[in-house]
Amino acid sequence: MITWEHFIYFAIAAVLFWIVGAWAAWKKKTVLAYTTTILGLIVLFSFILSMWMSLERPPLRTMGETRLWYSFFLPLAGIIVYSRWKYKWILSFSTILAFVFICVNLFKPEIHDKTLMPALQSPWFAPHVIVYMFAYAVLGASAVMAIFLLIRKKPLISELEMTDNLVYVGLAFMTVGMLFGALWAKEAWGHYWSWDPKETWAAITWFAYLIYIHYRQLPTHKPRWALWGLIISFVLLQICWWGINYLPSSVGTSVHVYSST
Amino acid sequence: MKKGFLIGGGIIIIGLILELIVGPVKWEAFAWPVNGIVLVGFLTIILALFLLRKKIPAFRFIGTYQAAIPTLTYAVVLTIIMGLTKQTSDGTWLNSMLTFWPFVLIYVYMAVILGMVILRRHDIPFLLNHFGLFLAMTTATLGNADMQRLMMITNVGEIEWRALNQNGEVREMSLTVELKRFIMETYDDGSPKRFASEIQILTKSGKRIETTVDVNKPVEVEGWKIYQYGYDTQMGAMSQTSILELVRDPWLPAVYTGIYMMLAGAVCMFIFGNKKKNVNRKLSNCKSQ
Repeated sequence: MITWEHFIYFAIAAVLFWIVGAWAAWKKKTVLAYTTTILGLIVLFSFILSMWMSLERPPLRTMGETRLWYSFFLPLAGIIVYSRWKYKWILSFSTILAFVFICVNLFKPEIHDKTLMPALQSPWFAPHVIVYMFAYAVLGASAVMAIFLLIRKKPLISELEMTDNLVYVGLAFMTVGMLFGALWAKEAWGHYWSWDPKETWAAITWFAYLIYIHYRQLPTHKPRWALWGLIISFVLLQICWWGINYLPSSVGTSVHVYSST
Repeated sequence: MKKGFLIGGGIIIIGLILELIVGPVKWEAFAWPVNGIVLVGFLTIILALFLLRKKIPAFRFIGTYQAAIPTLTYAVVLTIIMGLTKQTSDGTWLNSMLTFWPFVLIYVYMAVILGMVILRRHDIPFLLNHFGLFLAMTTATLGNADMQRLMMITNVGEIEWRALNQNGEVREMSLTVELKRFIMETYDDGSPKRFASEIQILTKSGKRIETTVDVNKPVEVEGWKIYQYGYDTQMGAMSQTSILELVRDPWLPAVYTGIYMMLAGAVCMFIFGNKKKNVNRKLSNCKSQ
């Protein structure tokens, strides 16, 4: 039976594969980049699946479990972006970020107990969280891109468009995640939108990214302002993801806080 | 954009004045048929603004990015304030943001902008996103007053036809519910794994339905959705009482149409991404030359 204790072996194998993939992308060895990155993904996904089976529920409830998915989706998003636009740096970036999240899970794992409260036992649970995690991964990529471009003096139009592409993909997934959440909420709580703190912050984050894409359409816009907007949006996203667990306004009022039970 | 921020600021000031004069927004006053009339009036205003846009430049401005971006910014700021303050029924204006005029008016203005751009643009992904949001937002807000959420406390072996509304008043239902059995399963640590109610429903039209209501699996009967809400927590697994929630939301099909449109719009956004980028590129090239 695979448990949390075995994570380190899967983690090391996956990260090694991804490092080779990232190196291969830089060296323009496309086939090698694809193969190793996908192998790393398979390794990590087999751990997630094993956890799913041994926990007898999808591993999506605690922060540690969502981080597991996040470290899976970052290289997945990386390889999709790589196959679509052939940015040679993207796999290095996704590997580093996935590595950070894997390290957090290795050094600060959160209790992975078996219980899953009835409110979370739904076919909506997995798609809702997985789609969101994927959105967070892609939007994380766009935020790093924004920082990178802000440090450089003058971003090229192609680099700004690359950032736009990431935001469009991320926002599309975020929209789906949010609307799946609404459809689920109707089945679970009787209403599709109750302005629960998590929902309020989901709306904030969603609108923030909408500002970015609308501002970028404005012919007279300032690219640097747009990039700053992207960084602010990502900060808001962090509040929505885990920050609200610490906000006095939502502690004790949000029905979305599950990990403390 | 300055103009857009000034207009948004003006709307917030008007909202504050309204809050001072008439007090918080009374959403319960929008119950049918008022919400239907308001919706028709609202759509008429948008159509009038759209038709007069060539004659009156101020109306034309409403459908521009310069109007939309500041409005979205105000909406985000007000919603952040809402996210940072505890939302309670008593307290300051900021503690009940949903009835706070500046918040409501900014969102209404956003709906007006959406309405204007929907009438102007005709490509399908654009319409799915914008019309979907417009439809979901307006019908969810206006329909809220017609939504009924009632609690029904049922005891094993007893037929119940009364339910409590959110103000604690007793309502007589058009259906009866008899709790046959309350089901409770727990994990090893005692936390609930499943709780559900085996019930028999009898409707006014004489239909008899035997079913089980689980958390996450509501049952739909004649426009009502019946949810497993709670049980006698002191008795735990031995509970002979089950609390059901009965929900009716006649505007739900309209809201769901909007939600499905937005879902389709998100799929389009993923596939096509930013279609206008070539236009942008040309514009930036023109500027730099």
